[in-house]
Amino acid sequence: MATRPLGVEVPGVAMALRRPGPWTTLVRFCRKKPLGAIGGAIMVFMVVTGVFANQLATHDPIATDATQSLARPGPEHWLGSDHLGRDIYSRIVHGARVSLIVGIASTLLGSVLGGLIGLLSGYTGGRTDLITQRVMDILQGLPLLVLALVMSASLGPSIPNVVVAISIPIIPRAARVIRSSVLSIREMQYVEAARAVGLRHLRIAFRHVLPNTVGPFIVLCTAQLGSAILVEAALSFLGLGVPEPYPSWGRMLSVSAAEYAQKAPWLVLFPGLAISLAVFGSNLLGDALRDTLDPRLRGA
Amino acid sequence: MGRSRRIAVTLLLALIAMLAAAASAPAQPKYGGHLNLMQREDLPQGFAVHESSTISTSFPSMPCFNNLVIFDQSKRAETVDNLVGELAEKWSWQDNYRNLVFFLRKNVKWHDGQPFSSKDVKFTFDMLREAPDAAAKLRINPRKDWYSNVEAVEAPDPSTVVFRLKRPQPGFLVMLASGYTPIYAAHVNPASYRTGCIGTGPFKVKEWRKGEYVDYVKNPDYFIKGRPYLDSLRYVVIKERGTRTAALQAGQLDVSFPGETTKTASEQLKKAVPGLVITPVGTAVNDNIIINTKKPPFDNPKVRLAVSYAIDRRALITAVHQGGAVPGASQPPKPYGVWGLLEKDLLALPGYGKPEDMKAQARKLLADAGITAQNPLRVEMSTRAIAIYVDMASFVINELKQVGIEASLKQVETAQWHPLATRGDYQIGANLTGLGVDEPDANFNENYACGSPRNYSQYCSEEVMKLIEQQSQELNPQKRMQLVSTLQKKVEADAARPVLDWRLDYFTMWPYVKGLVPHDTIYNFGRMADVWRDK
Amino acid sequence: MKTYIAQRLGVGALTLFGMSIVIFGMLRLAPGDIVDILFATGGYVNPSERAAIEKELGLDRPVTVQYVEWVRQILTGDLGKSYRYDLPAWEIIRPLIPVTLELAALSLIVSVLLGVPLGVISAVRQDTTLDYALRVFSLAGLSMPSFWLGMVIILGLVAWFGWIPPVTYVAPSENLPLHLVQFALPALAVGYRSSALIMRITRSSLLEVMREDYIRTARAKGQSGRVVIWRHALQNAILPVVTVIGIEFAFLIGGLVVTETVFNLPGVARFLVEAILWRDYPIVQNLVMFIAIVVILSNLFVDMLYGFLDPRVRYGH
Repeated sequence: MATRPLGVEVPGVAMALRRPGPWTTLVRFCRKKPLGAIGGAIMVFMVVTGVFANQLATHDPIATDATQSLARPGPEHWLGSDHLGRDIYSRIVHGARVSLIVGIASTLLGSVLGGLIGLLSGYTGGRTDLITQRVMDILQGLPLLVLALVMSASLGPSIPNVVVAISIPIIPRAARVIRSSVLSIREMQYVEAARAVGLRHLRIAFRHVLPNTVGPFIVLCTAQLGSAILVEAALSFLGLGVPEPYPSWGRMLSVSAAEYAQKAPWLVLFPGLAISLAVFGSNLLGDALRDTLDPRLRGA
Repeated sequence: MGRSRRIAVTLLLALIAMLAAAASAPAQPKYGGHLNLMQREDLPQGFAVHESSTISTSFPSMPCFNNLVIFDQSKRAETVDNLVGELAEKWSWQDNYRNLVFFLRKNVKWHDGQPFSSKDVKFTFDMLREAPDAAAKLRINPRKDWYSNVEAVEAPDPSTVVFRLKRPQPGFLVMLASGYTPIYAAHVNPASYRTGCIGTGPFKVKEWRKGEYVDYVKNPDYFIKGRPYLDSLRYVVIKERGTRTAALQAGQLDVSFPGETTKTASEQLKKAVPGLVITPVGTAVNDNIIINTKKPPFDNPKVRLAVSYAIDRRALITAVHQGGAVPGASQPPKPYGVWGLLEKDLLALPGYGKPEDMKAQARKLLADAGITAQNPLRVEMSTRAIAIYVDMASFVINELKQVGIEASLKQVETAQWHPLATRGDYQIGANLTGLGVDEPDANFNENYACGSPRNYSQYCSEEVMKLIEQQSQELNPQKRMQLVSTLQKKVEADAARPVLDWRLDYFTMWPYVKGLVPHDTIYNFGRMADVWRDK
Repeated sequence: MKTYIAQRLGVGALTLFGMSIVIFGMLRLAPGDIVDILFATGGYVNPSERAAIEKELGLDRPVTVQYVEWVRQILTGDLGKSYRYDLPAWEIIRPLIPVTLELAALSLIVSVLLGVPLGVISAVRQDTTLDYALRVFSLAGLSMPSFWLGMVIILGLVAWFGWIPPVTYVAPSENLPLHLVQFALPALAVGYRSSALIMRITRSSLLEVMREDYIRTARAKGQSGRVVIWRHALQNAILPVVTVIGIEFAFLIGGLVVTETVFNLPGVARFLVEAILWRDYPIVQNLVMFIAIVVILSNLFVDMLYGFLDPRVRYGH
């Protein structure tokens, strides 16, 4: 709700001084950026599906049923079933949970770690900054998928390991974005003022600089989320991602799907559409957020 | 009828008979042409068959090599009656199956022009059995145990080889017919087979593009005149299953890879290309459960037996293979194998009866060990991180859950599977085992003998060892069959490594491929000398 | 100018050195090595045989010694031997490089040919239905897993036409039309994805430039609208696009890995995955370093191109 207006009743000014409530902001955002709104809706839909997977699923996602092998989409199996008779719809619904958890966790882990590194590196400057940047360059120079592959092979198949493996390539990218944002903020008047007053650096960094990187950080997260989901899918497809029995959209597309695809195209269609939809939603949302929160970063 | 009429009718009938005979007679083989086959991965160790245990090495290497003897490539069944000589013209057992004499062909040449002689045979087998005075050593020697009974290999003259065995072993001859028993050349370093192939076989290696394909070209000096029919072969590496199937369907590949085509895939292929020739055959590959007999809780034989009872074999075949597998014990079942148990014996084994009865029996056995639904057993089931293993493991976990064993799945990467299994670093595991040849000596010594590196369960039974020795020396075929049956029943009763099913392969070929007959094992065919193209 | 290049190369060398340590360490973090895999193909394990092979391959030496030996080899131009194939690594990798480079180049061409025009149209018709439609189309490309796109293409082709592009590499000298067909589909699959980013950049930088005063002035002066756009705006909008192309090249590698696998093209990326799974250290290490060098050089090239196109930027970095 709007805050109380000033005592003086000055038409126009009072309206301008009232901070818009969250609901208004949301509505304005939807109106101004319809694509972004759609993206947001998709993401919300995915998250809700993941959270309520147990309720939304019609079958146990890992229960096999030989009599239902490769069943067509129909009343019994809404999106058909795979060669072991597992219900595709239920697996996709549970897969949302897995893919989103892995995607969000790895994005957050990578972005937060990278963001912290970027924050401290950008704020401190000097030699520390130089060295940190070189280290980040090193990590970034290694192709994303290759890095995740090697990490995954090193750590072994398990969900926490996959999260770590995917987060590592995100760290340098996050560090770079946050650092450049920090660099521009650092020179601003109020930071100089804070330093003049004698506040300790760490305090300045966290209290004053950090909140202003929130915008770029959010943009970064939504941008990386799509990429994280795709990397997880690719890793699972190659056999190094999320292990059984957790249903993973990427793994649903490997081996068996390709083999039976002509008899049962739904094996290939639906998991792929699910992945595409999730990434699409996060990209739409990310784009819109970027346009709203930080027009300078457009196209970065 | 008038005489002239009778003659006319006779002539007409004769004409019809001749035409019928001509129409039904097999087409004459044509010379020339190229065949495209596939590999699911690049050769792991090149053509070094003796340093490898995988069909990824043996099948693409078949055209390069010859054995002393081999299973008739034109017949599906692999029995001792179907043996034909390759480098050996004649052979005979002497001294009551104690000495095996081979009379070798003359005028056989290696691909580099050097003459073949008994020296090469002695070289190969001395190396395989790691004789103290062997001229060469293998870096990896997976089948050393096959030759543990060989006392000496003698080459009294360039065309004769004598195997002197320590004790009679009628099964020894069959083991020499496997795709895993080719003859190496004595005049080359065995390590050279990892990068190239000097053999005596119908085809010579023209080029091996790493990761891409192996090209073979006809061997003009092959010792069978008039063979091979084809001019060239290419084994293409395609890792992606979907792409492989699509390539076969689109005609870019002419033949499927042994053991790679499931029932459902073959139905799909047939629907898309009705002309494809699909032959269901055995593979000699079985699904089994390895159980660590040295650690609790599975050191208790009752608990192990409960596991075997809990798994409904027929349901597994339907659920995991969509019907593309058959039940059997430790030897390949009839009609795919010679030593399979009789139907009535098989049905008496755990896991074959009515599912409810079997599960009830399992629960009873577990209750004796203190495991109930209120006090379940929690274990970790290990398996390789490959789809075919994982599908099977998932089903088994489901079955075990119903009797009170809560198993969680642990996937192990290929590189770590064997060390983990050999170390005993697991409780229970879902495993696949391929038999190089349908011969109890090879099978039981590898998988059930005390101390064998592939006896992952570390199962050791004196009674079983005695039985293995006994059947190995038994000269009477019926008596030997009985001993092998007893052996199979005993190991299933001890449940150290319960066998779940034997996989089938729906071998697929385009109709113009003639002369290629898949066998009931995947390892022992593919010499390609008699294969020709009708188009 | 020369100092700038020297400086960049120096920094690049330092980065490469750091990367060499990282890739070397990470590989050895992965449990299991080539010897384990060899025994896995043998189907058993034997400790003494294992020790012998380790010694033969030099894996029994301390890790630091192995690293120094590797660096020394690279500096003398020796790329070592593949553990798996027992052949010089360079001999195995060399024929793969042109395939990947060609695929990467074709994909980039596709992405530029697709992305730039779409970006221009989208910018000119900003906020219309066409703009939204194009943006959605472009974003869809960014959202689809590239391996899925490849799979769907192959399966669709074989189901509807009974035909797929050749599964063995067809060299341009053998059969140029077939070679182009073989590369067209994978290039489209990868290029569609990259085109999204290029389209987005083109659109946004064009929008920014279009707001500039001088454009408005030029239009006020009455020059034809289209000429205005194409001459002034595009020239200036080119800069960020060139940068992105450079960045995209590095991103391409990930898409190339799965595309080469699905379309069975014998390239560097597909081979790299195999080598990782096989713990073929010399191949993985050298290939990754090679990719890194290419990326660093291409970044330098792009930056210089940037500097050439925009004199304001020449010496800052």
